[in-house]
Amino acid sequence: MSDTTLFKVTIDNISIDVPAGTTILNAARMIGGDVAPPAMCYYSKLEGSGGKCRTCLVEVSKGSEKDPRPMPKLVASCRTTVMDGMEVKNITSPKVVDARAGVVEFLLLNHPLDCPICDQAGECHLQDLSYEHGKEGTRYEFQRRTFKKHDLGKYIQLHMTRCILCYRCVFAADQLTGKREHGILDRGDHSEIATMIEKNLQNDFIGNVIDVCPVGALTDKTFRFKNRVWFLKPMNAHRDCPTCSGKVTLWNRGEEVFRVTARKDQWGEVEDWICNECRFEKKQSSDWTIEGPRLIDRHSVISQGHYAGTVGTHMPTETIEAVLNGRKPKLLMDIHEVSEVNRPKIELSKINGPAHSNNFNPDND
Amino acid sequence: MGRKLLLEKAHVEGIRSFEVYRREGGYRSVEKALKTMSPEEIVEEVKKSGLRGRGGAGFPAGMKWSFIAKPEGVPRHLVCNADESEPGTFKDRYLMEFIPHLLIEGLIVSSFALGSNATYIYIRGEYAWIPDILEEAIAEAKANGFLGKNILGTGFDCEIYVQRGAGAYICGEETALIESLEGKRGNPRIKPPFPAIKGVWGRPTVVNNVETLASVVPIINEGGEEYAKIGVGKSTGTKLISACGNINKPGVFEIDMTISVEEFIYSDEYCGGIANGKRLKACIPGGSSVPILPANLMLKTAKGETRYMNYESLSDGGFATGSMMGSGGFIVLDEDQCVVRNTYSLARFYRHESCGQCSPCREGTGWMEKLLYRLEKGEGKSSDIDLLWDIQRKIEGNTICPLGDAAAWPVAAAIRHFRDEFEWHVSHAAEAQTRNFGLAHYSDPIHVPA
Repeated sequence: MSDTTLFKVTIDNISIDVPAGTTILNAARMIGGDVAPPAMCYYSKLEGSGGKCRTCLVEVSKGSEKDPRPMPKLVASCRTTVMDGMEVKNITSPKVVDARAGVVEFLLLNHPLDCPICDQAGECHLQDLSYEHGKEGTRYEFQRRTFKKHDLGKYIQLHMTRCILCYRCVFAADQLTGKREHGILDRGDHSEIATMIEKNLQNDFIGNVIDVCPVGALTDKTFRFKNRVWFLKPMNAHRDCPTCSGKVTLWNRGEEVFRVTARKDQWGEVEDWICNECRFEKKQSSDWTIEGPRLIDRHSVISQGHYAGTVGTHMPTETIEAVLNGRKPKLLMDIHEVSEVNRPKIELSKINGPAHSNNFNPDND
Repeated sequence: MGRKLLLEKAHVEGIRSFEVYRREGGYRSVEKALKTMSPEEIVEEVKKSGLRGRGGAGFPAGMKWSFIAKPEGVPRHLVCNADESEPGTFKDRYLMEFIPHLLIEGLIVSSFALGSNATYIYIRGEYAWIPDILEEAIAEAKANGFLGKNILGTGFDCEIYVQRGAGAYICGEETALIESLEGKRGNPRIKPPFPAIKGVWGRPTVVNNVETLASVVPIINEGGEEYAKIGVGKSTGTKLISACGNINKPGVFEIDMTISVEEFIYSDEYCGGIANGKRLKACIPGGSSVPILPANLMLKTAKGETRYMNYESLSDGGFATGSMMGSGGFIVLDEDQCVVRNTYSLARFYRHESCGQCSPCREGTGWMEKLLYRLEKGEGKSSDIDLLWDIQRKIEGNTICPLGDAAAWPVAAAIRHFRDEFEWHVSHAAEAQTRNFGLAHYSDPIHVPA
């Protein structure tokens, strides 16, 4: 019955008919574009996720056709189902924009902002979120919280300071593996992802927690500090895997496979879960049948201009000289004169392992 | 002298034992309800009584009961919320400790009305000795045929289980309580679905405060309409107020909600005035979460009318010039108390008790605590006060459960009414370490000690 009923919902003045029981967030994603609220904790493939990060708050200015009263508070769009005739304001509501900027500030409050050394940088949802919805500075003047380090075994690296406690990895472990070994310990701002007590995460599918993590709290140890994601080229590939679908994305530099992840859709959600063997053990091109380059449909600032066919390829036709009446832009300092890092004389992909500053030192030869 | 309905017999010698309680007229309501009334009639009677939830929100109890879903073949549950953790509130503890059978009696009647065959009392872990008292009362009631199978030969079965919490304020929120009762981490659930549809183990559940359930006993005994005659307006019946702070007689008082705040604070029957001949500075009338009010607004509303101890009068003027009845934790501050320090103390509590599930509460409570600590230590800046205001505004209403609001309101109210004291802490930082701000224009204009 419910799958045939269509509810009309208007989000930011764009109307769409969606099946009854659809959440506001999913209805907005059906419309697409800027109308879709950001989601840090909601994950459509994980049952029970969502409602925690509060970034997807929207204003319901009209409850439904039957009961047109607006909802008194902002609601979490990922957990609120649409009603017939509902009118939702997302980016058109100043209240929502203000509350969302507040949530971003809260999320970044204790975040270490160590993006320059974080493996997630470039594909981090928190980077995107703060760029799109946050303010340029923080008003927080206190020491950020730190945690005792937990070792989760040889595959998964936990950086608790970066965690935004979205609970996605907990849901993923609950729903993908037979027995969850990690969880949230403690309470409030000192709650942390950990195992009780110092266990390895051992399950064929536990590697997927890396993919569901929106930030760099859970990263791939086999890829740790090896390369930046924007230097790598994503390729669709598959192999005949006895445990999982074997459909993955390889992140290559030249022929070398730096890491293997599951394929992610335009909302950054995994299409098919993959097993640990595919993810961590198969790092040879010969292990895989390459299908072709994967188009990354991402709005990330860092991914812009690095992948053909994404946003941000539209460049102005005028040169700077033309705009400035023949004058050249005045630089205070040309970085290339003092540093050779950006113009290395060496071929990075020919270096065995990660590059070291010594590699860039011409006197080193 | 108002009427007492709950604590009337609380000090009879040996009232904790079944024999004495029964001799004093206990368990009459069970006999009346189970033998002569249908569950629908009981719900109707509670609706007529106008009983409002005593846990803090003040939602009409009969209305809440009528929302419970009744799907065929699915058990329903009643849960008694005895996780009384609000700073300043200790009324349920008093009731359970002195007259436990009253709660058991109310629970049996309410279980019958809601069709709950397994009823739970979720009690906070810090009340370590009270579960023993309750379990003894349950055992006695069972031995006398008021609990267990086929109660009083009416064919109604009911068991009451006592579940201890592990000491978390958040587990007083009804969905967090349900999670904890199920043996999980006490994180509030995202509503909807409400517990009346999906509560304990996915079954329809009603969660009520101890005092609410105990109040069902006089409602059944005397009838809903009789009960509604006590009190005033929509504040019917009697309310337990736990008064503490700088007063001569701290303790639990049963009031009939017609007395004025002034009478409550200064009358010898209740608080007995401010201790040590000091003057009233401020008051938090309903437990730590509700807005603090300066003395002049506490005794009189903004319109200049007398403020009474009931739901409507205490919230008169909204949050701008009013407060809330809350859970009845009446905290009185005299002229020697520092509002900044008090607010810091509350903020520290909420930072510690935030479950950490949703970001505004998890991060915002900690931030407010740090800012207030800095202000209290005389290291604050005047911009910190505006920042605090902005933080509380961004927490309030944007969280999963009311803990975010509860953390934001005290800070908001303190800045709203006592901003000059915060500013003094910035401008006279060194002096603020040695003495208190004392009274200002918001002091109580009536009672000057002789």
